[in-house]
Amino acid sequence: MSEKGEVDLTGVKQNTGVWLVKVPKYLAQQWAKAPGRGEVGKIRICKKGNQGKPEVSFTLNEELTTIEGIEDKTVSAPRDHPFTMQSVGGQMLAVFTESSSDKLALEGVVVQRAECRPAVSESYMKLKRLQIEESSKPARLSQQLLKPVTTNYKPVAIHDYNREYERKKKEEGKRARSDKQQVLDMLFSAFEKHQYYNIKDLVDITKQPVTYLKEILRDIGIYNVKGTHKNTWELKPEYRHYQAEEKTDE
Amino acid sequence: MTSLSGSGPSTTEYTVRVPKNTSKKYNIMAFNAGDRVNCSSWTQARMERDMSARRIYGEEETPESGAGSEFGKKQREEARRKKFGIVTREFKVEDQPWILKVNGKAGKRFKGIKKGGVTENASYYIFTQCPDGAFEAFPVHGWYNFTQQAKHRTLTAEEAEEEWGRRNKVVNHFSIMLQRRLREQGGCEDDEDETEKGGKKKKKGGQKGGDLRLHDLDDDLEMSSDDSDSSMGEDGESKAKAKKDLGKGKAKKKKQKSHDKEAIEESDDGDYEGLEVDYMSEESSSDEEPANEKPSKAEEHPKGIDEMSESEEESEEEKQNEEEAKEEEEEEGKKTPVQVENKKKKDSSGESDSSDDSDIEGETASALFMKKRTPPKRPGGRGSAGSSRTGSRPGTPSIDSASTSSTLRAAASKLEQGKRQIQAAGTDSPAAKRLKMEPSSQSPVPSGKSTPQPPSGKSTPSSSDVQLTEDAVRRYLIRKPMTTKDLLKKFQTKRTGLSSEQTVNVLAQILKRLNPERKMVNDKMHFYLTE
Repeated sequence: MSEKGEVDLTGVKQNTGVWLVKVPKYLAQQWAKAPGRGEVGKIRICKKGNQGKPEVSFTLNEELTTIEGIEDKTVSAPRDHPFTMQSVGGQMLAVFTESSSDKLALEGVVVQRAECRPAVSESYMKLKRLQIEESSKPARLSQQLLKPVTTNYKPVAIHDYNREYERKKKEEGKRARSDKQQVLDMLFSAFEKHQYYNIKDLVDITKQPVTYLKEILRDIGIYNVKGTHKNTWELKPEYRHYQAEEKTDE
Repeated sequence: MTSLSGSGPSTTEYTVRVPKNTSKKYNIMAFNAGDRVNCSSWTQARMERDMSARRIYGEEETPESGAGSEFGKKQREEARRKKFGIVTREFKVEDQPWILKVNGKAGKRFKGIKKGGVTENASYYIFTQCPDGAFEAFPVHGWYNFTQQAKHRTLTAEEAEEEWGRRNKVVNHFSIMLQRRLREQGGCEDDEDETEKGGKKKKKGGQKGGDLRLHDLDDDLEMSSDDSDSSMGEDGESKAKAKKDLGKGKAKKKKQKSHDKEAIEESDDGDYEGLEVDYMSEESSSDEEPANEKPSKAEEHPKGIDEMSESEEESEEEKQNEEEAKEEEEEEGKKTPVQVENKKKKDSSGESDSSDDSDIEGETASALFMKKRTPPKRPGGRGSAGSSRTGSRPGTPSIDSASTSSTLRAAASKLEQGKRQIQAAGTDSPAAKRLKMEPSSQSPVPSGKSTPQPPSGKSTPSSSDVQLTEDAVRRYLIRKPMTTKDLLKKFQTKRTGLSSEQTVNVLAQILKRLNPERKMVNDKMHFYLTE
């Protein structure tokens, strides 16, 4: 168990710094489609001499600019994405990973935050417009039916139910009393599986008439008003051996 | 990695890879800036999901699973759906908070709660730089905000609600937790223990008692530098005193202070009647009572500063009332000089008119000065409550004791009315002057009303001894310096048969004629004659 919760702190020890970049949805989708090794594009960092603010920009690979699901071929993802750099601002952001085997590791600390913005371009605008149109469609749609539905109404008798009823009657007839011993066997095996049973369930299982079954149950079991809604039957304590296999027969 | 060497600025290019099949899910662990968490200082860390919510969600799973009824679960679910139309939320392990323990048992504890909505509209990626210079981007699966778990004790919901209700009254917040801790220790707190700590803490007035008796305003004001090392008896005494005062104050004061401790409000007026209570001195008479009261009143209501000061006010008044009925020696300087004066004079009952005069003087002075004056009550052995500390002390028991008190009062009130009609406000001297001026214009009228009078002196048909004559006035003025009010008092309307207005006019005329000398005594214009 000591393994389970243990967090691997190597990332922190090495002081690995990572960037936290906010990426637009469509770009993330494109990245998910990256083939092969997963190369999606190039990032360019331009440092202006010694004075600080480096300009970072990301260029999407050509092949990933096509967006699926949009018929209009002129609409494609823009390629150029400058990054807006932001500071972490005193807040401490760490990155931890959870592996599929439930191992936790602390990968590192965020040293830079950035936002990936698309460079404004014609294709981007079109893309956005499409997106907006999509999202503005209402989720629910009212549609008028040209032909009214006439199939479901007014049966004389409920046909399915009738069928089932007749079938039941044919099949089962009246339940016949089988031997007491057999019934007991059935009951005991049932009670091995579960402790509490409803009388109806027992009737289903044993296929005995209710009165006969109740008589038998009165012998070997107790009727439980358990405080819960159902009143259930359970075996008497002397008949109960849930751990051991032996049963005391009557 | 290709690097383009620009002319001035340097540009480097890196490839970005998004690895496809990562078994690891990346998450963000966000800490509050104020917590000043330094990950590198962690030696070891353990983190697990907080599964405490599972009980709530998965209650159905526990009963009767091994030995349960067969068809129970399905039926229950169906029934629930049909009845309530509720779909119970699943217990998702993914969404449960994390519990992070750093540096073992003695270290810090954090709870990380998942932040919703992070991945809805935009994705976060973690860019790490690989040894080969390329960037690898991993999508962030979830964002957890980690907050430090308090190791100190906090109030439960009920206690917090209670304290919230008392928030305006409680000043010393430290003692709240202290109370709770001590309560948990079994409820047998030592006074010393507790008050010691209380004393060491805020010395502001209004240390809250919580369940227990504590310092009073008394302590805080007068013995503010004392620690609770002062004896318990004293504490108890002073507390009891304040309690008593409060009790009286409550009984008397109109405004009801609602406290949840009913013990205070149950006390009646008569409970404290026989007590001689002194604010500051340490009288033994009150010692025994507090000792008894202390255990009975197990919980003292908390008092804030305002309350304390109010109680101080009330108690002061109560005490004043008591004292004037009983003792005089314990007067404090808190009373205004007028009151003191009044009391001293009153208590020497059966004295000369001067006492009455001063009483009435006080009354009429207040009337003249247009001060708010509650009508003098008829106390049963006590002074009237309700008077504020502004200095106007209306009638006191000693007045009632005098037989002429009622008449005096009536006279004074009538006088006051009369004077009010004549002048708006003012001190004695302007009053006197106006009296002289105005009646002169009005004199024909009243004189017309009354029986014809000789110009020199006015003798009116009267059935009593005192008559408003010049001689009478002269006699008085020779004997001792008097203000106009005093003079007026001498010539009471019931005795002279004149109305107050008439009296005033006549007196004014007499004074004009006599032209007495003036002297300022106690800021009041007194007239006197020397012959």
